[in-house]
Amino acid sequence: MKRIHELFVGLSLVAAVSGCAGKDNLIVLTPDDSGRVGALKVSNDGGEAVLDREGQTLHLGDRRTPPGAFAPVSAEERALFAAALAAQPLVPVSYLLYFEFDSNNLTAKSRQRLDDILRAAQERDSQDILVIGHTDRVGEADYNAALSLQRAEAVRELLAGKGIGAEFIQVSSHGEGNPLIPTADEVAEASNRRVEVVVR
Amino acid sequence: MKKILFFCTTMLLLGAFAAAQTEPAHIGRVKGTSGMVSIQRAGSLKPAFPNMKVYLNDTLLTGSDGAVGILLEDNTLLSMGPMSRLALDKFDFSPAQNKYALQLRMEQGTFVYLSGLLGKLAPHAVSLDTPSGTISMLKDTNFMARFGGDE
Repeated sequence: MKRIHELFVGLSLVAAVSGCAGKDNLIVLTPDDSGRVGALKVSNDGGEAVLDREGQTLHLGDRRTPPGAFAPVSAEERALFAAALAAQPLVPVSYLLYFEFDSNNLTAKSRQRLDDILRAAQERDSQDILVIGHTDRVGEADYNAALSLQRAEAVRELLAGKGIGAEFIQVSSHGEGNPLIPTADEVAEASNRRVEVVVR
Repeated sequence: MKKILFFCTTMLLLGAFAAAQTEPAHIGRVKGTSGMVSIQRAGSLKPAFPNMKVYLNDTLLTGSDGAVGILLEDNTLLSMGPMSRLALDKFDFSPAQNKYALQLRMEQGTFVYLSGLLGKLAPHAVSLDTPSGTISMLKDTNFMARFGGDE
């Protein structure tokens, strides 16, 4: 309770300093995983303001109040977001699995990745898994369209065998049309013989 | 005149047919909830649970002990804390047609916004309405925000 009280005192001080009467609306800019910060603009009937530095905080009133003073974010302000931050979902993750030449057999190394995919699905309680098949450009396009689908279906079987509900896995295939490494026709390229798995 | 009327009727019918054919696609999913979380949809309120699909024009609400995280189809991640209200007004992620739009209304509460592909590919198509004004993206941007709501 004391903590909450302190928080309110802190906030009313902030409000007093920035000149917004009792309304403690605020926006805090945060970095992405690689530390990059973007830029956004807040506009209302009173004017506009741009935020473009990490941790930069803009205090705001109602729509008529000009966007207020900038300040670095305080510990008290960060604490306001604890519950929302705890509820933040995990970012979707994607995996590439590779295949032996002209086959829907996974390479030994890729076979070992299946447990990582299972773990990612469990961590996310995922019911939304995309499996997308591809081939290299050796062989006819039609043949490769069928092969890429067989590869994707093989991966779905393997994941279902590990306990992921098959109904949560959406299979699609791109044949030889969406290579990771573009090549001329009839060129064997191991890194294009793949299935992408996206766990959302 | 008769011809025009016929044309209009045909167009109306075609429109109705198209509407009946296209089942509305979900625009995201609830990923995690704690405490009381509801979705207001077409005038009625239903409890939200993990993996529930969310649709255009849904409003998400949390109670005094509630928190929720959602994942939109373009990988935008949104979460909110207690006593929060968020309306999903517009969502279009169609890279093949080069069509992008995201409009959300943060009516009240605490929000954490992690930009997805819409923010990366088309930041200018992202616009968020708040009690303090409109947030528009100039770049791919993450932020947190708190709004007291209309008092």
